[in-house]
Amino acid sequence: MAAFVVGAGKTRFAPTTKGLVHLAAEAIDAALVDAELTYADLGAVIVANFVGGPNQGQLHLNSVMAGLFPGLHAPSWRTEAACASGGVAVHQAILALEAYDPILVIGVEKMSDVATTSLTANIGMAGDAMLDQAAGLTFPASYALVAQVHMACYGTTTRDFELVSLKNHANARLNPLAQFHHKDVCQADIDAGPTVAAPLRLFDCCPVSDGAAAVILSKRPRGERSVAVLGTAVATDAISLSQRESHTSFAATKIAAERAYAMAGVSSREIDFAEVHDCFTIAELVAMEDLGFCAPGEASALVREGVTLREGRLPINAGGGLKAGGHAIGATGVGQIYELCQQIRGEAGARQLTVTGVGLSQNVGGVGGTCAVHILGGAS
Amino acid sequence: MIAWVCPDCGRRYAYEIDLCMACRSQVEETNPSRGAVVAVTRVDTPSRGHEDVPYWTALVRSTHGLQAIVKFDHAVDVGEPIVFEPAERAASLARVGVIGTGVMGRGLAELLLSRGHQVIWCGRTTEALDDAKARLLERLARVMDSAEVRVAESRIAVSAKYEVLGECDVVIEAVVEETAPKQAVLREAERHMRDDAILATNTSGLSLDELSAELHRPHLFGALHFFNPATRMRLVETALCARTSQQTGDYLDAFSRSLGKIPVRVSATPAFAVNRALMPLLNEAVRELEDGVASAEHIDEAIRLGLNHPMGPLALADLIGLDVVVRIMDNLVQRTGDSTYAPRPLLMRLVAEGKLGRKTKEGFYDY
Repeated sequence: MAAFVVGAGKTRFAPTTKGLVHLAAEAIDAALVDAELTYADLGAVIVANFVGGPNQGQLHLNSVMAGLFPGLHAPSWRTEAACASGGVAVHQAILALEAYDPILVIGVEKMSDVATTSLTANIGMAGDAMLDQAAGLTFPASYALVAQVHMACYGTTTRDFELVSLKNHANARLNPLAQFHHKDVCQADIDAGPTVAAPLRLFDCCPVSDGAAAVILSKRPRGERSVAVLGTAVATDAISLSQRESHTSFAATKIAAERAYAMAGVSSREIDFAEVHDCFTIAELVAMEDLGFCAPGEASALVREGVTLREGRLPINAGGGLKAGGHAIGATGVGQIYELCQQIRGEAGARQLTVTGVGLSQNVGGVGGTCAVHILGGAS
Repeated sequence: MIAWVCPDCGRRYAYEIDLCMACRSQVEETNPSRGAVVAVTRVDTPSRGHEDVPYWTALVRSTHGLQAIVKFDHAVDVGEPIVFEPAERAASLARVGVIGTGVMGRGLAELLLSRGHQVIWCGRTTEALDDAKARLLERLARVMDSAEVRVAESRIAVSAKYEVLGECDVVIEAVVEETAPKQAVLREAERHMRDDAILATNTSGLSLDELSAELHRPHLFGALHFFNPATRMRLVETALCARTSQQTGDYLDAFSRSLGKIPVRVSATPAFAVNRALMPLLNEAVRELEDGVASAEHIDEAIRLGLNHPMGPLALADLIGLDVVVRIMDNLVQRTGDSTYAPRPLLMRLVAEGKLGRKTKEGFYDY
């Protein structure tokens, strides 16, 4: 397998009046310009979107998006795997390069135009309607249960969650495409946040975002700015926590990570920086442990030591993550690839990290139901 | 808790299937009835179908090692033993009659619709019903999208004639808080209801024995005292009269729970538990205003902050309706013989001037 990201583009993730297609067009245009391609060059288009069905009453988005490419008639489909839609779509694109080249992956989501109770119910469709949702297990509640067990098992504290939140908010201040780019979030804000589902409070949760991200993949690099895909993997698990043995760890992440490391021929110690799926602060801690950055139960120690800060040995979510960067669900996994590319190419501006040889992204659907892991490295 | 287990390989499935996906043996349904809490979270954010917060959602593991997510309306602790009861479905799908188009009638109709019930709504005149229905739909439009409002609308039927109550499993009377009109309405409703249907009054504390004196089926009658706003307040005072049957009492409690409420049984004494404690507080706040202790705003602010009440007593009186407050106080005086419950002169004057609180846009405050 040889695959390169030859172009990447992203809108800001934040509530906007722009519609689904408008957002997608913006990200696609940025990716095409970045790749120095036109849409007529595209071999296939994969659209990643989670909740456009219930939110906008719009399915069949591959055909809707075809309206952006008059005369192209390329093979195209929509990929849905809840919050992992974007990462799974990138994985599919890499596999499909044998048949089509280059492939555009466009992830897009529009959420801010839906009333909160409807939106919560729609997002809840990523959980098991019968086993979980009927018992009031919203997504914040799911991750709250994981947090409760993690705290009881390993002595993790709410202070550790706050440190993750503070770090990602500080990082977002350097990222002009982050939802909280313009907002300083300090300890007082966190202290004032109401409880959502104990122990998780407002600033443990990612915001509601609109946004799009696009990447163009090819078997061949296009100049020195192309970024190589070293590893790609997807793994799944039963969605309901009631069907899991462990509640402090996601088997889907562990297995996807093992496969991606094996494919890339690297170990977790060789990862220079990572974008992980911090839809809730606890999720970042669990991700660190499942990705092998530390032993189970030790993520909080790394966070307390500052290892995951921008200046640390292993910066995590230097773009602000989902927590402060925004979580435009279907776009999130694609946006993580965009972020890795910007860092690896040394084009991340104010948020540029110093060591960015090998980067990893982890994109999770549901509470560990689906996980896509990508490892990118070395501008060719 | 329910699961399907393969008798040969022991694999467990949370979904109803026929054959084990691995060894193709016939799976067996299992329903463990006991377990313990593994982890629990208190949820403070409402979502559709879970409007009442806080609630507690727990991961529960059975003695067989099966797990389930279970919702509770009270706190539970990790390790706490749980007994799973068969779901009470009877109360959840009832077709409910509501009589009355006032604040409580509208609140009850909204609550019932939001919980998926069919509502048969009776009132004195078609005009009053049409107006109440329009106001209800307007309220629903604020929390539902247009398609949901249409579905809700399709589940309300309004009628000034009580014959339609024959279709109901339960009827809740919420007309003016006076004995004679309530008696007449209850009698008329019962005449048209099925002979196994339950009749409840939303009285805030009139004598249940008087209200049921002329009913033919008093064993199917009791009080469900909801609080305003009915969609938000979790308490329901359940009071039974001397002739109410045990089954009716149990059904009324189950019905309240199916609406997300917490029923509290009180004996059928004047004004029940809440209003008997509340009325002297409201009356005393009015007396403070009469005596010039402070302005209405300041009295309310002091009590809100000093007693940690969400709302001051004068604003609360305006919300309840000053005429309703006066009637409850009068009734307390009459039934207890204790004149300290008597409404203060200022309260009487406002009612005489037609200033009844929020509903007339004027009371202790202007709205």
